[in-house]
Amino acid sequence: MAALATSWLLAGASAARAQVTAEPSAVVFPDPNKFAHGLYTEGEVGAVAFFGKAGDDVSPGFAVGARVGFDLFRFLALQAHFVGSTHQVSGDNPLNGQLLQTYQALIEGKLTLRFGQTSIFGEGGMGAARLSTNALYALGVEPRYRVGFVAGGGAGLDYHSLSRHFSVGIRGDYLVMTNLSGSQELMATTYLRYTF
Amino acid sequence: MKGSRAVGYALALSAPLALGCQNMNTPIYFPSPETPLLEVTGMPVMNNPPRAENGLTLQFRNPTDAEQKTLDMQTATLGFDVPWIERDHVHIEMTYQVINEDSTDGTWSIGVDGANQYTKYDENIVAMTLGMGNNDPPQYIPLIPVTPQVLTAGQTVSGTVREDDFNEAELDLDAIGRWMAPFNAVLINNSQVNPIGLSMVPPNVVIPALIEVDVNFSADGAKMKCLYDIRVRDDNDQLLHDSADTLFSPTPTLFVPPAPMPTN
Repeated sequence: MAALATSWLLAGASAARAQVTAEPSAVVFPDPNKFAHGLYTEGEVGAVAFFGKAGDDVSPGFAVGARVGFDLFRFLALQAHFVGSTHQVSGDNPLNGQLLQTYQALIEGKLTLRFGQTSIFGEGGMGAARLSTNALYALGVEPRYRVGFVAGGGAGLDYHSLSRHFSVGIRGDYLVMTNLSGSQELMATTYLRYTF
Repeated sequence: MKGSRAVGYALALSAPLALGCQNMNTPIYFPSPETPLLEVTGMPVMNNPPRAENGLTLQFRNPTDAEQKTLDMQTATLGFDVPWIERDHVHIEMTYQVINEDSTDGTWSIGVDGANQYTKYDENIVAMTLGMGNNDPPQYIPLIPVTPQVLTAGQTVSGTVREDDFNEAELDLDAIGRWMAPFNAVLINNSQVNPIGLSMVPPNVVIPALIEVDVNFSADGAKMKCLYDIRVRDDNDQLLHDSADTLFSPTPTLFVPPAPMPTN
């Protein structure tokens, strides 16, 4: 009777399955490996402020810039940076209120550390800066020529959107300007990046 | 590689645009000469407010052969001399700062004179000529007057003599120098409001720009100082930069008004 009951129970059972022994790992979403990488462009807006000798005579100004770069690896990129900013001459002098623009072009290296959608990065580079007028020469701040060498670096925070191409971020860079004797600049911008 | 092509096109399009924008407005500034400093004590000199003056000459290059040929052709076409330094291509502005260094209030005034490539105007010479034969206080008639203002002790004031003020002065000086205009009539009147005295000026005249700017500063009642900068927009790159160029050095004739007739 017992054997009959056992065979009846087993006859209704389905095929054996693998046993679950642990919780399934959390789904990685979005997957950073699916973010586009390679050639990218960035457009940025922000502010540039001068320090040192030029800081006494030039007020902070609005900046617009662009970057074109290439991700050599996920963590390392090379980029070209172009930025223009407009300022007013300040201080106690006859040129107070006159406009002055700066144009800068730099080659930069960039290291990135990613945490999912967010990443932090550090960058540094060198290049040239040009002033639109000789106002600072007239004020005795700089030598006669308006083109000079700039070098420096900075850091930023990037947030990738759910699109594989777009990300946004903020960054700050501190640059030394050799032709403006004893002058430096702080550049703080927010940007939109598109990776092809 | 559609992306890189798009970037290339974007860069190719933006580069000339950026350069073009940069060249739209690239003034060059010339600081006022250190000596003599425009500083006056405020104490009257022979019952007149003390005055100080200095100025600067803008250095332009000579025209190239091609440019000279163009000028000669324009001169032949118009029938009168076409200046090398034209008002339409050289735009001048002056920014100034007046500082009351005293512990009392005072009144200051600025008069701007100058020269184009044909004529030089000096309000001091004009005042001296007009004052011959009488004991009246000198009457100064600058090319560009700046309205006198009271400045309180220790204060600083800044101002601008704009490009349109210089435009008017350049028309007046050319009218006085080349077209026999009565100097006091054209200097006192704004040509856009009352073109009195300009009847001899041809309507198609090419007006010369100033190549020399002279600043006369006076202060009454307090020790004051004036600093200024001359701002020049040079459309055709005529200012002397390149050492290979030679200096344009005309010799303008000093304007001397006719001496007043003695009255009996």
